[in-house]
Amino acid sequence: MSMTLYHGEPNGPSFTVLAALFEKGIQAELVRIGLAEGARHELSCAQQAEVAMSVEGEGPVLVVGGEAMADSVFIACYLDDVGPGAPLRPANPYARWETMSWCRQMIERTAPAAALLGCHAHPPKPSPALLAKIGSVDLRARWEMIGAGVFAEDKLADSKAKVAAAVEKIEAKLAGRDWLMGEFSIADLESYAWLAGMVKVVPEGFAGKRLTVSWMERLRGRPAVRKVLALARVADPAAYWAPGPEINRWG
Amino acid sequence: MSEVTLYHWEPNANSGKPMLALMEKGVPFDSHYLDLLNFDQHKPDYLSINPQGTIPAMKHGNLVLTESTAMMEYVDETFPGPKLMPDDPLDRWRIRWWMKFMDQWLAPSFSMIGWKVFVGPAVQSKDPEELKAAIERIPLPERRVAWRKAIYGLFAEDEMKESQRRVAVGIRMLEEALSKRAWLASNQYSLADANGFNLAYALPLSQPSLSNDELTPNILRWLRAIYARPATKACWALGRTSMVKRVTILEQPHIGREHVA
Repeated sequence: MSMTLYHGEPNGPSFTVLAALFEKGIQAELVRIGLAEGARHELSCAQQAEVAMSVEGEGPVLVVGGEAMADSVFIACYLDDVGPGAPLRPANPYARWETMSWCRQMIERTAPAAALLGCHAHPPKPSPALLAKIGSVDLRARWEMIGAGVFAEDKLADSKAKVAAAVEKIEAKLAGRDWLMGEFSIADLESYAWLAGMVKVVPEGFAGKRLTVSWMERLRGRPAVRKVLALARVADPAAYWAPGPEINRWG
Repeated sequence: MSEVTLYHWEPNANSGKPMLALMEKGVPFDSHYLDLLNFDQHKPDYLSINPQGTIPAMKHGNLVLTESTAMMEYVDETFPGPKLMPDDPLDRWRIRWWMKFMDQWLAPSFSMIGWKVFVGPAVQSKDPEELKAAIERIPLPERRVAWRKAIYGLFAEDEMKESQRRVAVGIRMLEEALSKRAWLASNQYSLADANGFNLAYALPLSQPSLSNDELTPNILRWLRAIYARPATKACWALGRTSMVKRVTILEQPHIGREHVA
């Protein structure tokens, strides 16, 4: 079945999906779009509910046989199911639960924090015409806040704390192992995707975190990941941000 | 003693998800009821199982699992019984998409309304000092904020309005998805339906002007079909509060606009 992946620069959710695609050895048509300009909203599938209302915010879209898929971890699970390469999730159900729980915490706590800090440090430059097409009221509100430069100090501070907490968790998990779940998995891709750009934004969070820093280097050394990073058209893809998931509004 | 112990509150929202999945699979489990309104989930006994103090948690032998949606996937993969995830990878993606959308976008809005209407009033009559101490024992800062709002009625008007807007959008999306297929995210009953029922079982009562047989016939058809399943009946029979007894609204053959108070 033919696949088309609409993706941004290899950072955040676009990184996760591109890396899963290459790790699994899947052929797909790659179409680069300016996620940070709001270009996803001019795709013909932009108003489909699963794209327009994706909790992830501005992420890549994989179109397979006419169905447009969003949300990078679940696209990666799909690619893991259909591709020939080595598995990206453990075979043991408990280890799979741990992988999905890990990704859930990454999606729910770390990703909103990283996206906010990333957009604060490297504001996206949206096209007003494209923003007018956004189907989700709350995603448009996030774009407007970023466009107006409105960043609440308490949210920035809380986001830094959340990024630091994620790094602590990764550092602890990596004791005695190369990859977060033991074997290389989607958890490594998703965690790296959101945290790679935080090294310069929250340097204090990474201070003395030797295991995390070497895990990032190890990940960048994988052939599939090198191929992903070689797709970058900007000098530093980890400095390329678009609005991500919203910060949890209720406990 | 069963191999599985589930620590849960009512068959509702996160607690109800693994309860219903276990019952659909026919897995026997020891039910350990935690009274959320008595703050059982923040007491040392339970914190020794789940230090985050969130409900539900599951023990399978020596393994401990949290995060209700990931837990449901574990239940489906681990135990025999009817499969609650289809084989088609595209269906599996769609099921996960809907579960995340409900867990992270729609359910928090329902929950905010439910906590203002039900949870807050149910605990407000307790001793103020006891409530203060109960809040201080909550491990997660986000949950402390939530409980403070519920106990002291601190919900801002604009956040309630936003929750109500999201509930209306979510109802439209559910109705549209259910007009395309028999079940929410695939052509067979799946974890997405078990998840969605926990969110929406009382919808025609809680949102009568947005969901009824005339406005959302597909949602009502779907809710009644899930309620008719023996596992759902057995699951909701474990409920103790008036909140979950609202499920019996689905026994009415027709819930029309006239139902609006």
